[in-house]
Amino acid sequence: MISRLLLAALVALPLGPYDIKLLNTPKTPTAQGTARLVFAPSPFGVTVTADGRSSYDVQLSLTGLPEPSTLGSYKAYVAWAATTDLSKWHRLGPVTNGSSTVGQVELNKFMLVITAESDSSATEHKGPTALHGISPSGWLQSLITHPLFRGVQ
Amino acid sequence: MMYAVRYVRSGLLVALLAFAPWLVGAQVKPPPAKPKPNAPVPAMPEHHDHDAMDMPIPMPKGMPMMPGLKGLRPPVTPFVPGAGVDPATLPAAKPVATVKLKDGDTLDLTAGLVRRTIRGQQFVMYAFNGMVPGPLIRVAQSAAITVRFHNRIDLPSTIHWHGLRHDNQNDGVPGLTQAEVAPGGSFTYQVRFPDAGVYWYHPHVREDIEQAMGLFGNMIVDSPEPDYYSPVNREQSLVFNDLLINGDTLVPFGKEGPDFTLMGRVGNVLTVNGEPDYGLTARKGEVVRFYLTNVSSSRTYNLSFGGAPMKVVASDMSRFEREERVPSVVMAPAERYVVEVRFDKPGKYALVNAVQQINHFAGEFEPEVDTLGIVTVGQVPAVPDHAARFATLRAYPAVSRDVDRFRQHFDKEPDQKLTLTLRTNSLPLATVQFMNIDTAYFAPVEWTDAMPDMNWLSTSKQVRWILREDATSKENMDIDWRVKQGSVVKLRIVNDPKSFHPMQHPIHLHGQRMLVVSRDGVKTRNLVWKDTVIIPVGSTVDLLIDATNPGAWMLHCHIAEHLESDMMAVMHVDGVADSKR
Repeated sequence: MISRLLLAALVALPLGPYDIKLLNTPKTPTAQGTARLVFAPSPFGVTVTADGRSSYDVQLSLTGLPEPSTLGSYKAYVAWAATTDLSKWHRLGPVTNGSSTVGQVELNKFMLVITAESDSSATEHKGPTALHGISPSGWLQSLITHPLFRGVQ
Repeated sequence: MMYAVRYVRSGLLVALLAFAPWLVGAQVKPPPAKPKPNAPVPAMPEHHDHDAMDMPIPMPKGMPMMPGLKGLRPPVTPFVPGAGVDPATLPAAKPVATVKLKDGDTLDLTAGLVRRTIRGQQFVMYAFNGMVPGPLIRVAQSAAITVRFHNRIDLPSTIHWHGLRHDNQNDGVPGLTQAEVAPGGSFTYQVRFPDAGVYWYHPHVREDIEQAMGLFGNMIVDSPEPDYYSPVNREQSLVFNDLLINGDTLVPFGKEGPDFTLMGRVGNVLTVNGEPDYGLTARKGEVVRFYLTNVSSSRTYNLSFGGAPMKVVASDMSRFEREERVPSVVMAPAERYVVEVRFDKPGKYALVNAVQQINHFAGEFEPEVDTLGIVTVGQVPAVPDHAARFATLRAYPAVSRDVDRFRQHFDKEPDQKLTLTLRTNSLPLATVQFMNIDTAYFAPVEWTDAMPDMNWLSTSKQVRWILREDATSKENMDIDWRVKQGSVVKLRIVNDPKSFHPMQHPIHLHGQRMLVVSRDGVKTRNLVWKDTVIIPVGSTVDLLIDATNPGAWMLHCHIAEHLESDMMAVMHVDGVADSKR
């Protein structure tokens, strides 16, 4: 109970410039979450790739995700980072309710998407979206009308 | 709700851009091909393609000045050093030379006018002893020298010995440790070198002019330990600077105070050791130790050597606890890094600065690459072959043992909390309107100046950059910060992301050393002693200061225009001898 309250408090924290508020879909109305971007470990004050893209670890705090099986023949949730045109997807790793760190994201601007999958080791996103958000650097870009985020597979 | 607010802001920006008449004629630059960081030579167009000739400052290609800013000038008198002096009457600037000094030696260091030729154009600029960079001072750890400084430029000046934990009265800060040295005057410094590492010296008066114009030099302090660094085939000291040149003219500075105060003056001509085209010839397999120093007013670099394997060994004031392989080096103004690079195959390796700039109109990040030099590697193998040692990532237990004494303080509550922000007044309306919306683009670091017109028109009369003490709300030099000599001070710095213009700040503390113990709550895994630390936008950084050196020491942003816009405070270390810790 205490850990649930703590997690709820974490999810309710005011968002900062490194935070992503995750939105649910009609299929996952109870799901909530936030992601915090922290620079991947490096000897420098900021972490970037050789061509200058930011490199982040993603700290996730999730609550209210239903059992994946309630969404269909799914067994796990997997986090992905996608370019904002959704043309390239990068697997971050399996996630569950609670706190976890996945990574790394080497994109300046990206969508964070959590999908239900038939296998936690899925390398390609196929299942329905449970939560999604956009990195702070993409705040000026609206994808809210994309079918993917209206619960359409 | 938050999404809704953001989308409203998004809509506002879209509307602004769509209806702005000046944008109709502007060409939004298509994003260039992605760079190939491992390619030995740059695989994308260089960014030296500014539209400049018909504008008072260089603008990014395809971007005109905003109509609301056209015809405006910064409210300061234009000032160009050495104005009216015929360059032909001046000596040509010489390349840097190393001056090896022993304990007790004396060096005469004269700041004067020189003629520099950059891309075929001649400019009157500044130099120490006629060299750009100034003489590379090489001394043994624990040495003490005397430097007789002679000011022969057209501005008052001093010399600050950046990073040295030496005696306060020699720190070179006007109004705090000494009076300005007037043109024609002299001042004698006693300089001590208690810590091995790479340091630099520069004026602490109008850095935005004097430093940019060539007054900077390195100091390398050698440890007595023969194996302090690993064996290499050679060493190179590289000093990175940028100049803002419009056609054949230096963009003038502000006489009464700096312009470009919103984000600092970001040059369009990048130089290494004063030259736009650095060159080095190496043998196959050669391992080179580079001492890297960023003396730019505002630019943060992301440097790599054409994909050649590189490891970072040390930073400002010490080695790291352990060496790490890195794809590139991120270096904020005033920071230093020591890296070792092995050029294992014949060919050309481009030394590049590769960053992602913000296209404010398209809302996109775009790669930008500047080639700063070329390392040409021949077929003849290097002798001796240091491949095996280079392949080993050394740990430095001496550093860890030193740090161990401070670990008990890592998790204590901060002794001091500062917030970085700014206050503005009387900026052009177009600037205010655009900036209010533009802050919705979030980037931890602004690598380039994508809006130079707005930046140029901001001066220290309109912009006050602020270090605010959380406990008292006092700002900058009004902060009364006193600590006891020998104390370990935890300083928390928050870079306010909601200010009028959030951007990164390289914060420098004089005369002490400090550890970055955490960033945004994440503990640092590989510690190193620093004197300058970058605070990205929105970041919270916890620093642990080893306050051993008594005196009045400045803490300030090392973006020259921010410093000149008041972003400074003083930490008083009261002289209580600490013999117990």
